[in-house]
Order: sequence, then structure tokens, then C-alpha cells
Amino acid sequence: MSMLWTRTPTPRSTIGSPPVAPSSPEAGRQPAPPATPTGRLGPAAADGEGGDRGGTDHSGTDHSGTDRGGTDHSGTDHSGTDRGGAGTTVAAAALVGLLLLPFLPLVLASLSQGYFHPQLLPETWSLRAWRLVLAPGAGTWVALRDSLVVAAGVTLVSLVVAVPAGRVLGTRSFRGRRAVEVVLLLPVLVPGIAVAIGLHVTFLRLGLAGTLPGVVLVHLVPATPYVVLLSAGVFANADLGLEDQARTLGANRRQVAWSVTRPLVAPGLAVAALFGFLVSWGQYATTLVVGGGRVVTLPILLFASAAGGDTAVTAATALVHALPAVALLVATARILGRDVPTLGGAR
Amino acid sequence: MSALLSDQVRRWSRDDTVRTWARLAPALVLVGVLFGGAVWSASSRSLGVGAIGSPGPSLDAYRRLLGDPEFWPSVALTTHVAVTSTLLSVALGVGAALLLRRVHFGRRSLTTLFQFNLPIPHVIGAVAILLLLGQSGFISRLTAGLGWTAAPADFPALLYDPYAVGVIVQYVWKEVPFVGIVALAILRAAGDDLETAAATLGASAWQRFRFVTLPVLLPGVLSTAIIVFAFSFGTFEVPLLLGASYPAVLPVLAHQRYTDVDLANRPEAMALAVVVTLIVIVVVLVGAALARRAVRRAGA
Amino acid sequence: MAGGPDPRDWPAVLAAADGTTVDLHMWGGSTEINAFVDEVYGPALAELGVELNRVPVADTADAVNVVLGELEAGRTDPGSGVIDLIWLNGENFATMRQADALLASGWAEHLPNAAFVDWDDPAVAFDAGRPVAFTTSPWGSAQFQFVADTARTAPQELPRSYAELAEWIRANPGRFTYPAPPAFHGTRFLTQWFHELDGDPDAWVEAFDEDRYTEVAEELFALLEELAPALWRGGATYPNEIADLDRLFANGEVDLTFTQLPAGIGANIDAGVLPATARPFVFDTGTIGDHHYLAIPVNATDPAAAMVFADLVLDPVRQAIKLDPANGWGDGIAVSPDRLDTEQREAIDAVTAGLGDQAVPPAELEAVRTSNPGAELTVRLEADWDRRIRQGRTG
Repeated sequence: MSMLWTRTPTPRSTIGSPPVAPSSPEAGRQPAPPATPTGRLGPAAADGEGGDRGGTDHSGTDHSGTDRGGTDHSGTDHSGTDRGGAGTTVAAAALVGLLLLPFLPLVLASLSQGYFHPQLLPETWSLRAWRLVLAPGAGTWVALRDSLVVAAGVTLVSLVVAVPAGRVLGTRSFRGRRAVEVVLLLPVLVPGIAVAIGLHVTFLRLGLAGTLPGVVLVHLVPATPYVVLLSAGVFANADLGLEDQARTLGANRRQVAWSVTRPLVAPGLAVAALFGFLVSWGQYATTLVVGGGRVVTLPILLFASAAGGDTAVTAATALVHALPAVALLVATARILGRDVPTLGGAR
Repeated sequence: MSALLSDQVRRWSRDDTVRTWARLAPALVLVGVLFGGAVWSASSRSLGVGAIGSPGPSLDAYRRLLGDPEFWPSVALTTHVAVTSTLLSVALGVGAALLLRRVHFGRRSLTTLFQFNLPIPHVIGAVAILLLLGQSGFISRLTAGLGWTAAPADFPALLYDPYAVGVIVQYVWKEVPFVGIVALAILRAAGDDLETAAATLGASAWQRFRFVTLPVLLPGVLSTAIIVFAFSFGTFEVPLLLGASYPAVLPVLAHQRYTDVDLANRPEAMALAVVVTLIVIVVVLVGAALARRAVRRAGA
Repeated sequence: MAGGPDPRDWPAVLAAADGTTVDLHMWGGSTEINAFVDEVYGPALAELGVELNRVPVADTADAVNVVLGELEAGRTDPGSGVIDLIWLNGENFATMRQADALLASGWAEHLPNAAFVDWDDPAVAFDAGRPVAFTTSPWGSAQFQFVADTARTAPQELPRSYAELAEWIRANPGRFTYPAPPAFHGTRFLTQWFHELDGDPDAWVEAFDEDRYTEVAEELFALLEELAPALWRGGATYPNEIADLDRLFANGEVDLTFTQLPAGIGANIDAGVLPATARPFVFDTGTIGDHHYLAIPVNATDPAAAMVFADLVLDPVRQAIKLDPANGWGDGIAVSPDRLDTEQREAIDAVTAGLGDQAVPPAELEAVRTSNPGAELTVRLEADWDRRIRQGRTG
């Protein structure tokens, strides 16, 4: 059994493939914090070993998405993982189909009018809901703008604090590292409603309640830890030895940072930033309480719409809310996909 | 090493430590102030400190909370939702990973599509499930079309029901890809040399899973399970949309008490916030300790 | 600027409002109403240099809480609040009045278009049993009606009183429910039932009789408890909002829903929210009709802009537009026909004449109209409903 552990499964090019983007919380939260939830696979994954996080994949990325000829370990057929035929494909397709099924009534409802039971396909197709939702004066645009502004603010601030912190967490071993990781993990796990309730009165007194900056601040609570811990993973996996080599060759610090470090970590940090963005994008409870109804982001608008009886409009609003998130995910995947060979490929 | 050199080393490590903590400081301060501030504020207000005209710290709010007839049913429901969602997500997620791992034709597209609903915010998922599983929802219309049900009332009540089925379905729907992707990544990184070896030695599929695959997955999946639990316990918007009127889950209860026009209920709302926070923290720490023990045992 | 701008000097108010934004917090649960406000009032305001920021709230009480929270946090000075205007009535009005959160300068009396409002009418001058005293300005009026689907239920089968409704529920188990109080329509539904059992709705407008309340409430809740198993989902859960009830109704899960629109449900049918065969009706024993208002918080930042908006909506032409369901709303008028000139009155009459059977005839509405009771009654009913019905606790 001990054989299993000596082989320290290094998550190579973890940031390589279509990243697992989280919406509200999890996907980013996952095994990345190796301290508390023990992500380590075993004693061989010792501290300080270039920050090997013992096999737990930071961004839970899936390599199969970008099978870059040969980087896939289990690509070749092993009897241990019987490569399935059409049967497994069908089963997997059914699984995926089930997961995507809920979007179907959403799309259908958005394109219909009077879509009551028992109509399976709408009797009356109509663009009314989309026209209402996308109308120039509709609340959708304001909500979209506010959601974007807040999420961008959250992403920016968390990146700024996450880069130095992540570098240190990912590459150095020091006393108290585990404690830091725990401290960073808690805000992600604690219910947002509790945090929002806790902060609200103070924000009221500070005049932050009902303002965009106030909402940005409260979103930072769940978002920053994600970005920090993911950045840690990025730095852990980056081949930072190249920095020393560059310096040996005479490059000064700025040149090193720009020409060596940046290409190494930028794609991964982009993923971390994406996570931060998505955490903020999907926040409801925190925006509801701290925004005080005055800051209307897309989740707030969507919820109000769901309570408002016009199912078609609600469905259309939901799709508007979902689109940027999915688009961002796809875009990042494409960016990262291109850079995979340069990313930790040396490992 | 000469004394001079060791001094030098010591200075380097001291500088290093300073630099380390300096680099960590912004993040820690940011999180500390905001999160710590929230916890501190909720805690002190729950003890009655800081409110206008309050006589001083007291456990009144907590006493009232524990005596609140909706509190204990709420705890039970919330725990049920969280535990069930976690167990189902983990089981199905790992199963999905094992399945996807074996897919040959179309693996890349299927795996990509598998992750599709990860960036989807929960509010959207809740609305989608609402339209899908309601008694007059899409599935109900399908069964009506097939002649299995006639009126909406013939379709089982999966939403607003006492077991929070709709809520659990929504959580599982979101978390299965999450758990699945993590499991896939772990399995990919681990490679299947050992499983091959085990198979060569005559181990059955079940034995291979139980003694080779599972231990590899366990640590990562356990930590993922903790996260899923914390999340299912603390989410607010999904039960608000898909849950029954009574009892409300703890996060919804906290919000109700907080937005009550009667401001005297504020301390109780704060107490609820504190209680919910504590429960999650305790579960996380206990779960992490258990996970560590399991890993150690498996690694022996 | 103690007491806010003085509308008697209207040009000054217009000047002060020019270039500002009015932050209107109103219930956002109806896409059609939202669109109406944006499209009908927005451009008109823009012409006056005022930008409309319509902030949808899920529950008016949320907006009230924001103001109360601000006041509690010490932000009481004019210009320190985030809300300029709240659409409210009833309990929410009472709450703000009690907390002295309303701009109480009597501004509503002196708006130019206030001339069209009959402030002598108790239906306007009193809200939830309290004198409005010009602290809020009327926007429109509403009356509670029931809605049935003629394709499913013949008119003669419909209940015409709460007593008949109880029978109807027993005869059609699982086919009826109501939004959980304190949702607006749920509370009103409950209050009307209370009134029918009590027999004297007017008595509750200004006074609250504790003994009488206990007696009637006991009867009411005992009845509700007895009927609960015959409700939708066996009474184990109730829809949160009127929109949820509308959805159940439209999809055939229940057979009745409610509306507040005096001009009928034409707008809802056009929007595809209610089936085309749906028709409103009232109980012979009475349904509550009242006005709804616009309130300016005492710490509003742009009270001048708020006053401009409040005045704008009282314009008789726009009131007629609001009345017509074809424009997306169908809300009742707040202006008194007696105070309008011939042309304005004709515009309103034309709308009323063209309503068809998607509305209850105005004469019938008026015949069964009862007053909105004092807030004490509704608040008690909500609390007791929550305890006895939602939580299932007896006593």
C-alpha cells in the first residue's frame, strides 16, 4: 500500500484545462486549501517541496478537456480503467443530459407566453419576455452594470491582496501557515447571511449600507479567500526556479517579474480572478442585506422577478444572468487552453 | 558553520519571516477586518451589547432563541438538507467521475459539458428547478403527455414539501459536477498504474475500487464533502425560493428575524447568525480532523 | 431646509428638482407595473430634468426598514437617506408614521395636482385607520377581488361570501390556497374573512376592541385550522406571494386567485400571466378597497424630485392612462371625477366603458367596498396567523 504514497501525484498543469469555475462558492473552495481539509495524499508530499500540494488539484481542473497529446496519463488503455465503448458514452451522455435538463424549461419559458400546464412545448411562442427584459429602460441593464461593477471591484481588490499572499503561501513553508489557511478558509464556509447580518448595522453607521462600495466589501468576504488560496496553488505549481535562472543571467527584478514570472502565473491567476468574479456574480444574501434593496444586482433582480408572477420574464432574466458567467468561463478556458504547454509542462 | 555565518542565516530567516508576513498582511487584514468584524459585531449584538438602550451583556437573545418553537425544527431541517445533499452529491459525484473516466468516445466534450452548471449562480439553478420539478413543471407536463398524470396535483409534490426535496435536488444538481471534477482531477493525477497492477494481481472491480481507488479519492473528496456540507447548510436563496413555509431553514430564519419590523427581534437574529456560524465552523473542524485521521490511517 | 421644499412655490420646487434623481422604492413584483412606471412617467420626468431611479423591492417593508435603520443609525438629517420616495399604504404607512419617519410638512396638500384629489373623502384622508394628514400623497386606488377561470368553474358555482367559500373549499379539496400573511394579498384575504365573521368592518377603522378581537379571531382561526387539510398541499405550506398563487392558478393547481386591480385583469391576461378565460368577481359580503400612496422619508436626499413625481402621477390624463389595462396596469384612480373638467372625466369614462367582462363593473365594486381597517387589526391577524396556522401552534 505504501507504494501508493511514494508516487506523489503532482497536479501538473492544473490550471491547464477548462477550469472548474465555481459560481457561488464551491468549485474554487475545494481541495486547494490543503491544510485543514487534508488535501495531502501522504507523507511524501512534504512541506516545502516546491509547495507540492500533495495531489489535490487546486482548481479541480479536468485534463481531459484539453488532451494535449500525451499529457493525459490515463489516455492509454489500461485494464485498471477499462476503457468503455458506446455503452459508457451513452451513460455519460445521459448523465450530462440530466445535468443540463433544467435549462430546457428555462429557455422554453423565456420564449413563450401563457406557457401553462400541460403545454410541453409552448403553444404561443413569443419574444415578449426578451423584449421586456432587454428594453433600453429595463432594470436589467442597471442590474447588469451594477453586477459587473461590483464583481470587477471584488476581483480587483482580491487579486491585489492575493498575489503577494498567494506567492508566500504557495512557495514558502513557515510556522503558522496552516493556521493562515484555516483563517482564510472560514469566511468561505460561513453562511453569507450571517456575515451580512453581522456587518450590516456597522455599515449603516459608516454610511456604507445601500452603496456599491459596501456591497463590494461584503462580497470580498467570501471571494478573497478563494482568490488567495487559488493563487497559492498557482505559485506552488509554477516553475519559479526559472526566476533564479533569469536573475543569474543578469535580469533585474522588474525584468524577471515581467518576462518570467508573469507568463508563468498569469493564466493561473486569471483563473483565480475568474473565481473571485463568479463568487461575487452569484451573491444574493449578502447583497440583499447590505445593499438594502438599493443596490440591485442581477441576482436581486432575478429573485424579485421570480416573486413577481411573470414566469417568462423571470426565465429570460435568469438566462441573462447566466450568460456572462458561462461566457467568462469559456473565454478563460480558451485562453488557458492555449497556454497549457507553457504552464508547468516541465513537470 | 561559523558563528558569523549562522548569524547571517538567522538574519536571513528573520527577514524572510518579516517579508512573508508582510506579503500576507493585506489579505489577512482585509479578511480579518471584514470577516472578523462581522463575527464580532454579530456576537456582541447577540449578547445585547451595542443596541440603543440595552442594559448590558446578557444571554437573553440566546435563551429566547433556544425557546423559539421554530428554532429546533429549523435545525433539524437544515441538518437534514445539508447531510442528505452532501451524501448524495459525493456518491453521485464520485460515480460520475468513475464513469467519465472510462468514457472513450466523446470524452472531451462530455467532460466539458459536465462542468457546465458550475458557473451558474444558485438563484438561477433554483428558478430552473422550480420550472422543472413543480407540480405544473416541465417533468409534470412530460408525464402528463405520456398519460401517467393528468392534473398537476397528480404529480408528486417535490417543492415546498416537508422534506425539502426540491432544495436537495438543486444542491445535488450543482454539487455533483463539483465533486465529480475534483474526483476526476485526483484520479487523473494519481494515474491508474496501481489499479492496473491490482487487476493484474487478480483483484475484482469492487476490490480495486475499495482498496485502490477509494483511498486515493478519500482525502480530496472528504474535504470537498465538508465544503458541500457547509454550503448546503448555509445557503439562503435556494430554500427561500423552493422551500416550505414552515419550518424555515436556519439562514432563512435568521433573515426573517433580522428584517422583522419589530426591532426587538434583532438580537435574536444576531444570535441565529452566531449559532449558524458556530455550527458550520464546528462541523468543518471536526470533519477536517476526521479527514486527517482517515488519511493517516489509509496511508499507513 | 426644515420640512423640505414648499410646494406652494412650485417653480422653486421644479428648479430644485432639475438635475436630480428621484430614488423611488416600490414593490417590483409586477413586470408590467414596472414597465408602466418606467415608460409612462420616466420620459415625462426627464422633460422636467428629473431622472427616475425605480428601485424594485420584494416587500415594501424592506424599504421601510431601510429608512428606520438609517434613522436608528442617526442619519436623520435631510439628505442623509438613500430613499426619496416609497410606494406604500396600510401597515407600512402606520409604521413610518409611528416612527416619525415621514416628511410631515403637509406637502401633499399643496401639490398643484392635489386640487384634483378629494381630501375630504375619508377613503383618501385615512389610511389604515390613521389620518394621513398630508404626509403621503395618493397615487391610485385598489379593491380586492377574486379571480376564477370560467373554463374550469361556472359563474354559478363560485362562492359569493366567505361562508360559501368555506363550503366550496370542503367540496373541492386541494383546489384553494392563499398567500401566507404578511404578504399583502394574504393579509387582506384574512382581514376580509375576519370582517365577515365580525359583521361590522367600519368599527375597526379607528378603534381596536381587544375582547371582540379575541372572540372573532378564535372563531376565524378555528375555522382555518379545520379547513386546512382541505387546502392545497393539505395546508402544510402556503405560497409566498400573490405571484406564486397566480402561477398555481394559471397552471391549474388551484381554482381561485386574487387581484387588486379595479380595472380588471386585462393586463395580466395580455401578459400571459393569467389564462384568457380568467374573470374577476367579488363577494357580496364586501371586499376591502383603499388608496395607495407615495411617501417621502424625512431624511430623503431629493425631496423636490420626489414631490415632482408625486405631482406628476396625479395628472388626470396620466391617471386615465393608468386606469386602462391596455397600457399594462389597470390601477384605480386617485383623483375625484367631480373635480375634473369634462374632457378629463370623459377620458376616464371611456376607459371604464371599454373594460368588458375582464373587470368587475365599477358600480358593483363600489357597492361592496369596505374600508381598510386600522393597522392594529391587520398586525394582530398576521401575528396570530403565523403562530396558529403557519407554525401550527394552538394558543
